[in-house]
Amino acid sequence: MTTVNDPLVVAPLLVALGTAIASLLARFDLRVERAVSLVGAVGYTAATLLLFERVVVDGSGVLPYYLSNWPAPYGITLVADALSASLLGLAGVVTLPALVFAVVNVDEFGQRLSFHPLYHFMVAGVSGAFLTGDVFNLFVWFEVMLMSSYVLVTFYSGPKHTRAALTYVVLNLLGSAVMLVAIGGLYATTGTLNMAAMARRLAEPAAYDVAVAPTLGLAALLLAVFALKAGIVPFHFWVPAAYDAAPAPVTAVLAGAVKKVGVYAVIRLFFTVFAAAEYAGGTALDYVGPVLLATGAASAVYGGLAAVGRDRVEELLAFSSVAQIGFVVVPLGVAALAPAAAVPETVPGETLAAFGVAAALVYSFNHAVAKGLLFLVAGTLADAVGSTRFADLGGLARRTPVLATAFLLGGLSLIGVPPLIGFFGKLLVFRVSVVAGAVGAGTAATLAWLGLAATLLGAVFTIAYVTRAWNAVFWGEPSTLVETAVPERWAAGRREPTATAADGGESAGATAEAAGAAGDDHAGADADAGGSVATASRTTLAVETVVVATLAVSLVGLGLGADVIVDAAAAAGEAATDTTGYVEAVVPEGGVDGVPADETAAADGGDG
Amino acid sequence: MTQWLLAGVLGLLFALGTFLVLRRDVVRVVWGVAIVSQAANVYLVTMGGLVGPAPIGDFRGELGPPTDPLVQALVLTAIVIGFGTTALALVLTYRVYEEHGTIDVYDLGGEGL
Repeated sequence: MTTVNDPLVVAPLLVALGTAIASLLARFDLRVERAVSLVGAVGYTAATLLLFERVVVDGSGVLPYYLSNWPAPYGITLVADALSASLLGLAGVVTLPALVFAVVNVDEFGQRLSFHPLYHFMVAGVSGAFLTGDVFNLFVWFEVMLMSSYVLVTFYSGPKHTRAALTYVVLNLLGSAVMLVAIGGLYATTGTLNMAAMARRLAEPAAYDVAVAPTLGLAALLLAVFALKAGIVPFHFWVPAAYDAAPAPVTAVLAGAVKKVGVYAVIRLFFTVFAAAEYAGGTALDYVGPVLLATGAASAVYGGLAAVGRDRVEELLAFSSVAQIGFVVVPLGVAALAPAAAVPETVPGETLAAFGVAAALVYSFNHAVAKGLLFLVAGTLADAVGSTRFADLGGLARRTPVLATAFLLGGLSLIGVPPLIGFFGKLLVFRVSVVAGAVGAGTAATLAWLGLAATLLGAVFTIAYVTRAWNAVFWGEPSTLVETAVPERWAAGRREPTATAADGGESAGATAEAAGAAGDDHAGADADAGGSVATASRTTLAVETVVVATLAVSLVGLGLGADVIVDAAAAAGEAATDTTGYVEAVVPEGGVDGVPADETAAADGGDG
Repeated sequence: MTQWLLAGVLGLLFALGTFLVLRRDVVRVVWGVAIVSQAANVYLVTMGGLVGPAPIGDFRGELGPPTDPLVQALVLTAIVIGFGTTALALVLTYRVYEEHGTIDVYDLGGEGL
C-alpha cells in the first residue's frame, strides 16, 4: 500500500501557522498586519470547511497524513476523521467572526504589539490538537495553544488580568506536568505514542506483551488534565477569572474552540483508544462513564446556580460556560455506561456511544456559536456603554434593537428554543439519557436518569440566568450611564460625527479604517471600575454590531439547516467509536509503505 | 540500581515541588511548578528504561541494544517548552508584583470562586 498524503489535512495547521508568522513579519505597519491577519483567518475558515466537506460530507473516511512520509508508528502522523474535521469546522466558524470583532475591539497598541500573531498561534494550537495522531504531539499542541492563551488572558495587564493569568498559568503548568507523566507511563507500558498503534496494542495485549492494568491509572491522570482544560467541575475554578480578564473576542474563542479541545481529547482517547482495552471488571469506558457523568452533572448544576447570582454580564457568561460544558459531558458519561447498547433508528448513531458523542458535538456546536455571540455582545456593550454591570445597564432594547435581538437569540439558543440550533442540542442531550435509561438495567439506568435530572435542572438554571441578564440589560428604565452613552439609537448623535457611514464595516479595508479611528477604545478592560466613559466610534460599533448580527442570523440558519450539523455529528460519533476503522486507516495491519506495523513490537522488545 | 535511585529522587522532587506550590509566596509557587515539571522530565527519561549504553555510536559490538533514544528526544522538547513557560511565569510574577505591590497569594486575594 502506498500512502497518498492529502495536503488538505495539513492545510488548516499550515494556514494558521503561516498567518501567525506572516503577521509577526508585518508588524511594521498596522494596516498590513490587520490585512494579513484577516486574510489568514478567512483562509483558515476556508481550509477547515474544505476539510470538513471532504471528510464528513463526502464521507471519505479517515484521512491520515504522514509527515515526510514516515510510516505511522515511527513518524508524526496527522489524522483527519469525521470527529476532528467536525471540530475543526467548528473552530473555523468561531475564529473568523471573533477576529473581525477583535480588529475593532482590541486597542490599537495591543494589536500593534502582539495580538494578531498570538491569536493565530492559539488557533494553530487548537488545529494541531484536533489533527494530531499521537499523544506526545497532543501535549505539544496543547502547549502551543496555552502559551498564546496565557498572554492573551493577561493582555491588558491590569490587576485583575495579572491575577487571573497567574492562576491560569500555574494550574496549566501543573496540568502539563501531570500530562507528561501520564504520557511517559503510557509509552513505557504500551511501547508507542501513536494513538492508533496504542489502541491496537491495548486491544491485543498478549500479542504485544503489554501490561494493561497500569494504563487505567494513567488514563485517569489524562482525564484529570483534559477536565482541567475543558473547565469541568471540580477543575473549573480558573474559568471565570480567566474568561473575565481576556479581551471579549479572545473569550469567545476560548469558550468556543479552546474548551472543546479538552472535550475532543476525552472523546478521542477514551472512546477510540482506551475503549478497546479490557480491564478486570470491564472496559475503560465503564470506569470513566460514572466519573464523566458525575462531573458533568455537577458542572451543569453548579455553573447554572453560580451564574444566576452574578452582577456583570461577562461573569454570568463565564459561569454559564462552566454549566454548558456539563451539557456536553453528561451525554458522554451516559453513553460510556453502556456503549454498545442499541439505540432507536430515529437518533443519530448506531450505538449508544456513537449517539452520545453525536449529542455532545451538536451541543458543543450550539455552545460555541451562541456563547461566542453572547461574549461578543458583552464586548460591544462594554464599548458602547462603558460598563457591563447589570446595575449600570437597562433599557437598551429600544436603543439598540439589533444588539438586543442578537442577545435574545443567543440566550434562546442556550436555553434551547425550537428554530435555533440549541434546541437540537438540548433535545439530543436529553434523548441520550432517556434512551440509556430505557435500554439500560440496574445502576446504569439509574445513573442515566440521574444524568437526565441534572441536565433538566441545569436547563432550568439556564432559563433563569438568561432571563435575568436579558431583563437587566435590555429592559426596564435606562440608567443614567446608558442615557449619556446611548442618547437615542446609537448610530445617531454619538461622538465623532466625522466617522464614515455606519454600515460600511464588512470589508477588511473598512474594518481596518474603523479600528484606526477607534483608537484606545477598550472600555471593557476596566469594567470593574463601573461607569467608565465609553469612547468607541460609530464605525467600531457598526462593525461589532454587524459581526454579532451575522452570528445571530447563523444561529437561526444552523437551526433551520440542523440536518447538516446532526448528520456531521452522527458521522463524527461513528468515527469516534469505530476503533478498528481508525486503527486500520492510520496503522494498517500490512504496514504503510511496506513497513509492517508489527515491526515496532520487535523493535521495542529490546527496550525492556 | 539506577532505577531505584531515580525512583527515590523522583519522589523527593515531586514532594519538594508540591511543597513549594502550596507556599504563599508566588515566586516559590513558580519554583515549585518548575521542579514538578523537571521531575516529570526525569520520570520520562526513566520510562524509556535504563538497560543499555547511551544511544549514540556503534552497536555492532557486545554492548547490546542501546537505551531508547525516543524518550530523550521527547524530554528535550519538554525541557524547551518548560523553559519557555517558566520564564513566562516568572515575568508574570514580576508583573503581578508591579500591579498589586505584593506577591503573597493571600494578599492578592481572589473572588472566592
